[in-house]
Amino acid sequence: MAISLSNFLFAICPLLSLISAGTVTHDFEVSWIYANPDGSQNRPVMGINGQWPIPTITATKGDRIIVNLKNSLGNESTSLHFHGLYMNGSTHMDGPIGVTQCEIPPGSSFTYNFTVNLIDQPGTYWYHSHQRGQYPDGLRAPLIVHDTDSPHKNLYDEEIVLSFSDWYHDLMNPLLAQFLSIANPSGAEPVPDSSLLNETRDLSVKVEPGKTYLVRMVNMGAFAAQYVWFEDHTMQIVEVDGIYTEPTDADMIYMTVAQRYSVLITTKNTSDANFAFVGSMDQDLFDTVPEGLNPNVTGWLVYNDANEKPAPKELQAFDPFDDYTLVPQDKEEIYDHVDQQITLDMKMDNLDDGENYAFFNDITYVAPKVPTLYTALSTGANATNPVIYGANTNQFILAENQVVEIVLNNDDPGKHPFHLHGHAFQVVYRSEEEAGFYDPNNHTAFPSTPMRRDTILVRPNGNIVLRFRSDNPGIWLFHCHIEWHVASGLIATIIESPLSLQSQLDGRIPANHLQACADAGTPTAGNAAGNTKDVFDLSGENTSPGTLPAGFEAKGIVALVFSCIAAFLGMAVISWYGLSEIKK
Amino acid sequence: MPNVFAVPVFFICFRECLETSIIVSVLLAFLKQTLEPEKDAVIRKKLVRQIWFGVGLGLFICLCICAGIIGAFYTAGRNAFDAAENVWEGVFALIASIIITVMGAALLRVSKLQDKWRVKISKVLEAESTPLPLKGRFKRWAEKYAMFLLPFITVLREGIEAVLFIAGVGLGLPATSFPLAVICGLGAGALVGYLIYKGGNRTSLQIFLVVSTCFLYLVAAGLFSKGVWSLEQNAWVKLAGEGVAEAGSGPGSYDIRQSVWHVNCCNPGENGDGGWGVFNSLFGWQNSATYGSVISYNLYWLVVIVGFAVLGYKERKGHWPLQKPRIVTEKAQSDTSSGQDQAVEKKHAGVASSAVREVPE
Repeated sequence: MAISLSNFLFAICPLLSLISAGTVTHDFEVSWIYANPDGSQNRPVMGINGQWPIPTITATKGDRIIVNLKNSLGNESTSLHFHGLYMNGSTHMDGPIGVTQCEIPPGSSFTYNFTVNLIDQPGTYWYHSHQRGQYPDGLRAPLIVHDTDSPHKNLYDEEIVLSFSDWYHDLMNPLLAQFLSIANPSGAEPVPDSSLLNETRDLSVKVEPGKTYLVRMVNMGAFAAQYVWFEDHTMQIVEVDGIYTEPTDADMIYMTVAQRYSVLITTKNTSDANFAFVGSMDQDLFDTVPEGLNPNVTGWLVYNDANEKPAPKELQAFDPFDDYTLVPQDKEEIYDHVDQQITLDMKMDNLDDGENYAFFNDITYVAPKVPTLYTALSTGANATNPVIYGANTNQFILAENQVVEIVLNNDDPGKHPFHLHGHAFQVVYRSEEEAGFYDPNNHTAFPSTPMRRDTILVRPNGNIVLRFRSDNPGIWLFHCHIEWHVASGLIATIIESPLSLQSQLDGRIPANHLQACADAGTPTAGNAAGNTKDVFDLSGENTSPGTLPAGFEAKGIVALVFSCIAAFLGMAVISWYGLSEIKK
Repeated sequence: MPNVFAVPVFFICFRECLETSIIVSVLLAFLKQTLEPEKDAVIRKKLVRQIWFGVGLGLFICLCICAGIIGAFYTAGRNAFDAAENVWEGVFALIASIIITVMGAALLRVSKLQDKWRVKISKVLEAESTPLPLKGRFKRWAEKYAMFLLPFITVLREGIEAVLFIAGVGLGLPATSFPLAVICGLGAGALVGYLIYKGGNRTSLQIFLVVSTCFLYLVAAGLFSKGVWSLEQNAWVKLAGEGVAEAGSGPGSYDIRQSVWHVNCCNPGENGDGGWGVFNSLFGWQNSATYGSVISYNLYWLVVIVGFAVLGYKERKGHWPLQKPRIVTEKAQSDTSSGQDQAVEKKHAGVASSAVREVPE
């Protein structure tokens, strides 16, 4: 239904776009069903309306999208996040639990109702659950926003949507319990069991010779970035994360989780052969590569069903395209004057429960008792004071219409894909591996028209510098999109223009949103601890476990002193016994 | 340093060599006293040669046995131990600790061995001068070569004892830690034996023995604690898997739930921290102490204190603390001792008595 509706809209939009935008409505009932997408393990997955894979949402820019969500999972709360959409004026529809909404407990319903920005939101997006670590259980699908004014619309004949993802045979909840456990002090992330293309394996994509296709690719995995290449076909990148780029050729791309690429692929003029295309999980991310893991998922550009589908050729090395070099099609110039800088030093460490957590500036994210949006809306003038948002939310208050710079220093030997809600940012700098912390006085020149996107890879022990304009009041998360790291707290909360937000949304939170909070028993007013009287009293707020003892604490000193006394006493008795012989 | 010098091995060699050298020194002294240098020069020379020949042969056989055991162990058994390194380290550390504890008590009374052996030897030699018709050929042969057999059997006995002890103690240690410890132990034992032979100051000798015994017990206490620690670490590695080794001495290398103290340095297990390895061998230092390792360390000393107190009591009063009042009920007598203490005392008293069994009263 969804697809036919949106196709219909797509067809009539050229006529209507200037007059009135359409509305795309979906009724989604989320429930568990069984599926076996990789053919080796039947497992429960989160389906919608009894189907899995769940439907792709398609719309045209300027459309209103309404999703009536009913949680029929029975055992888990849920939510939906529409990844990459700016949610201008509708931050309460953004989806992250504990940030812009309460969890939607089993049995409750919730309506997402928002408009896709008319001017600058065409492209390839996706939607997924934003409940802790949940979407890898299957609640994820592409979201395509068509554009009748696309600068590339004359360059291709047809569209193909490809989703890439890693896949686990176990459910996320038990995997999260293993991951965040005293038995996993190094924080080794569970390694996927396989990977999927359009939620299946060995995908055939029918193509015709002599045509150009716009291939929209989404990595909707939990963890693994993927190298993607099409054998004997060159990709021409025209869009990343919803931002049109100058067409740029690439033989292989590196797509972290949550990133999207649209590429133009022109088919051969003859149909004599079919060609493999491959998504290969980046095994550098895996702590240990289990024996027998096949990191690759293969699909075929099928020119002719009668011909064989050749196995992909072996590669000597991965040499992916560097997305930092892309140029946005609108040539938006670098914001060269920074009003506000946010520095985030990230690291992994253990807390005194023995579990491994992720930190920004030594703070690991713990969701507050009251969703941050509701705190911002219910605290009046105090909403601009970061204190009220809690001790563990990594909150940053942005003033309106400022150029904001995020400097992220990765003090960890892993690769991390960082995502900012509500904005696409300019990637003004990305260091190589092992470059250490960002030094503003010592870096290569910034590009004059930097690439923009909403999810960016930071390299091991490297750094990135991102800039954006705070022109979108709302509560926006900035976080690593590896679901394991979301669970271990690699999240910052950007509180953008809270006073404007109040005038936008105060008293306009829909009743069904508040009802979900009531159903879940989540307070909807007050500071992070739910205190409405004294918003500076945060007693009872959610906090992380304590830090590890730095060395000798009281009990250690007592133990050491006792041991020393015991040893000296013991030696005294030995001496007494040993020397007593002489006296005889 | 634990990779080049195994302290327990040193003490075992020291102790066994000391006992051997005391016997040899007694024999030599005996010959010196009984045979006049002018008259019996030839026979004395012959007998001295017998003694050294006995020592040499005994030593040689010991070395053969030792080489055999080591060879068998390092060719066949090593991999089996590697697989569960912490278990073996734990078990062997505990065994080593008990062996040293038992030996240590005897070391304090080692100077008495001189008297014991003097009595024994003179008995043997006296028997030679009083012909008895019922003696068999073997006895006669044995008498003739007493000066060979005594040191030979002694060396053999002490040597095999040492080899077995070292095998027990050293299974968990790297092969490289043996040679230096063995050589030093033998050297020190021989030196002290020589001092005894020279009849030096008996008081200073006893002080020397007391000091070295204290040292020995420090090592044993550390080993005991380390044994418990290793077993706990084994459980932790089983739980936390690969990450433990990866963590070095940082978070994750230890079980926070059991931790009494942890410092991210000074790890005796790491190659860079050599000094802490010595600290670990001597005193059982751990950069990450657990409830188990701390409690076991203190418990060990408690047992040693009680044990020596009981031994001292026995030597002074002539009977065990709880033995005397057989008429009275035990409960009435045990004023301060709890039931657990009694068990500890009994156990330890038993061990200690066997260790000093040869000491004449």
